[in-house]
Amino acid sequence: MGMTDPAGSRRAAPFSSLETSRLLSAADLAALTDASDAQVKEALHEDHIPGVAIPASLEKLLGFGRSFSWWPLLFGLACCAIEMMATAGPRYDLSRFGMEAMRASPRQADGMIVAGWCSTKMAPRVVRLYEQIADPKWVLAMGSCATSGNIWNTYNVVQGIDALIPVDVYVPGCPPRPEALWEGLEMLRDRVKQSRHAYDGLRVIPARAAIGE
Amino acid sequence: MEAIQENVEIPEALKVVFAKLEEEFGDKFLGSSFFRGELTFTVSVDDYVAVATLCKESPDLAFERLDCLLGNHYPKRAEAPFEVVLHLTSVSRNVRLRLKVPLAEGQKIPTISGVWASADWDEREAWEMYGIEFLGHPNLIRLLTTEDFVGFPLRKDFPVKGTVGGRIRTDLKGKI
Amino acid sequence: MAGHGLDQHDAPPAPHRPTSAELVERKALTRQRVAADNETITVSMGPQHPSMHGVYQAVVDLDGEVIVATRPGIGNLHRGVEKLAENLTYHQFIPVTDRLDYVSSFAMNHGYCEAVEKLMGVDVPVRARYIRTIAHELARLSNHILWLGVHIMDFGAQTFFLICFRDREYILDLFEMVCGARLTHSYARIGGVAKDLPDGWVEKCRAAVDYLPKRLAEYERLITVNRIFLKRARNVGIFTTEDCHQWRITGPSLRATGVARDLRKDEPYAAYPEVDFEVAVEYDADVYSRFLVRMKEMYESCKIIQQCLDNLPDGPFLAADAAHVLPLKKNVLRDSAAMVQDFMYVIRGPQVPKGEVYRAIEVPKGEMGVYIVSDGGPKPQRLRLSTPSFYHGQAIPAMFEGEMLSDSVGIFGSVDIVLGDCDR
Repeated sequence: MGMTDPAGSRRAAPFSSLETSRLLSAADLAALTDASDAQVKEALHEDHIPGVAIPASLEKLLGFGRSFSWWPLLFGLACCAIEMMATAGPRYDLSRFGMEAMRASPRQADGMIVAGWCSTKMAPRVVRLYEQIADPKWVLAMGSCATSGNIWNTYNVVQGIDALIPVDVYVPGCPPRPEALWEGLEMLRDRVKQSRHAYDGLRVIPARAAIGE
Repeated sequence: MEAIQENVEIPEALKVVFAKLEEEFGDKFLGSSFFRGELTFTVSVDDYVAVATLCKESPDLAFERLDCLLGNHYPKRAEAPFEVVLHLTSVSRNVRLRLKVPLAEGQKIPTISGVWASADWDEREAWEMYGIEFLGHPNLIRLLTTEDFVGFPLRKDFPVKGTVGGRIRTDLKGKI
Repeated sequence: MAGHGLDQHDAPPAPHRPTSAELVERKALTRQRVAADNETITVSMGPQHPSMHGVYQAVVDLDGEVIVATRPGIGNLHRGVEKLAENLTYHQFIPVTDRLDYVSSFAMNHGYCEAVEKLMGVDVPVRARYIRTIAHELARLSNHILWLGVHIMDFGAQTFFLICFRDREYILDLFEMVCGARLTHSYARIGGVAKDLPDGWVEKCRAAVDYLPKRLAEYERLITVNRIFLKRARNVGIFTTEDCHQWRITGPSLRATGVARDLRKDEPYAAYPEVDFEVAVEYDADVYSRFLVRMKEMYESCKIIQQCLDNLPDGPFLAADAAHVLPLKKNVLRDSAAMVQDFMYVIRGPQVPKGEVYRAIEVPKGEMGVYIVSDGGPKPQRLRLSTPSFYHGQAIPAMFEGEMLSDSVGIFGSVDIVLGDCDR
């Protein structure tokens, strides 16, 4: 363990500087099969542990943190917005998950909950707001109107916002009950934890693909 | 316009309205009818503003409010396929009246946004949905649909689903 | 660390003394601004905005803080409901009316069904009329409570929003018990209501309606004499009776100007002739008066519901009119005539006479007029929904003119606009 082989020394004893545990040989392990808890602790030097190191990837930590303070853009369009407000209300409290801070500015938001049908007049605004949200971002399509256009199969309604922007979670319903939205948000939070996105690496937005940009 | 008559007594307040309008414009009306307790007068384009103004200004009629102005399209009616319908309300007398103005294809109708300000958006919507042009309107542009929308949606020959398509939005070019 | 400048004993930082070049530049800019005195700043309170309720775009021209002109932009929620109506039967259209003013859905259902019943000449049985009245007043309470929460939140008091939502949940529970849906009820049918009241509903409704006036009193204690609210709402957004008639402003905003116009009294329908209630009228025509009118309306709604529950008659909840009304479900599954009638009603639609009607009712936001032109077929030839929010949105430029930008949010809230109602 001299200066002649610095990399080798690091490889050989990864936890030596922390003094957490001694790697046991097969003979030592065999001797521990009938040992009591105190003897096992002594063998592993566990009473010398100054702290515990949990090996974890940074992405997982960030995802865990993000999932508990995922702040959506305040983007209620229609009736589903009222149920979204009720979900943020006292009975179905969104604040438990840190989501009560609905951001007014897309720059400060972590994603959007698109609640309501998107008309052709509103469509460019939806795309622009989505693009203004900083990465990483997730989109939840709340209600049947945002999912597929619902009964508004007319000249002015976009039949599903996934024709415009990539969507992570769809919550059908007209309007979905707060519990249903909550389940959708749980699914979304799972994706946030895993840092899984609906957009691919190239960040292709369906609206731009449709007009050939 | 067919007059649909019923064996129902016309209420007093409406009789007053009927009498006053008949007295002022009697022979100029194209028709009148009474159905389900509602009085309707059909008026030609030329007399339309005069009748509307009288309804508002005359103390006997006092129709202070225009409840709505809308268009309609009867494709089977060859000589006058379009129509503008007004619903007037007299709040002080609690009386309602309907005025209808039949229009030919491409015929223009004067605006009454000078008489009732709420006619502004109603007329814009009627133009947007039917293509009925209102002369003298301050701002006759699209209201509910996008500015570059092509077609008049509420006409009977316009499809419900529109002409662009629901999911592949090629009409967003230049807007995002 | 000494000298960081934040210690209270340190000398305050020396002011920045401008150089002569900076002074010359500053003067030139000021002169430019003074010369261009007529220029206004245009701010787009665009469709996505925390204070605009729904996607209403108000492009305001400002002279300092004063709004000189407004160019509203609506249509962000336009679906073509009237076009859809021409392709749906009268019965199929009922869920569409739910989504107009989605805060008080039953009121829209009710208005539409009243118009269709007027056209068809159907008499609604008395129990159904009482149930409709109760449901309509619950919708009115739901609407006004939500309006109050959002309005006061606009003024900055965010806790009030949560308080109002807590109480609104009791009303939504009642609706859920009776028709299965919290928000979009589709409870009214042509000729009555969809289902009878379930067991225990009357008691639960009575409990809610006995509890609500106490909560309303608490809201009054918090807001009605609140100095901040008084300062922000008194003499702000004055819109006189003449203005209201010119711009077709109805409902609480009209009653706040002193006109006792309420279609529940002037053109009664449902069970309103048989209940005793007062029309809420105020005289100052400002934001504060509109608030007071709506508070009073909430108390009156509780009174109406209590009276209806006390006098609730027995009987059918749906008219027995074979040509115009759905048959009862329990008969459909047993009786072949009813089954055929149900089939024809749902697939082909009810039989409707030729003619046209306009029926307006007092929905929580104002007067909604439904104009139906029928050519005798199963689908309307024309259906026009003359919704209050459309006209209130049109009057916003007139209301904003001359007001300060910071007052505009309060005024916009006081007129109570819902964009689904406005754009249809």
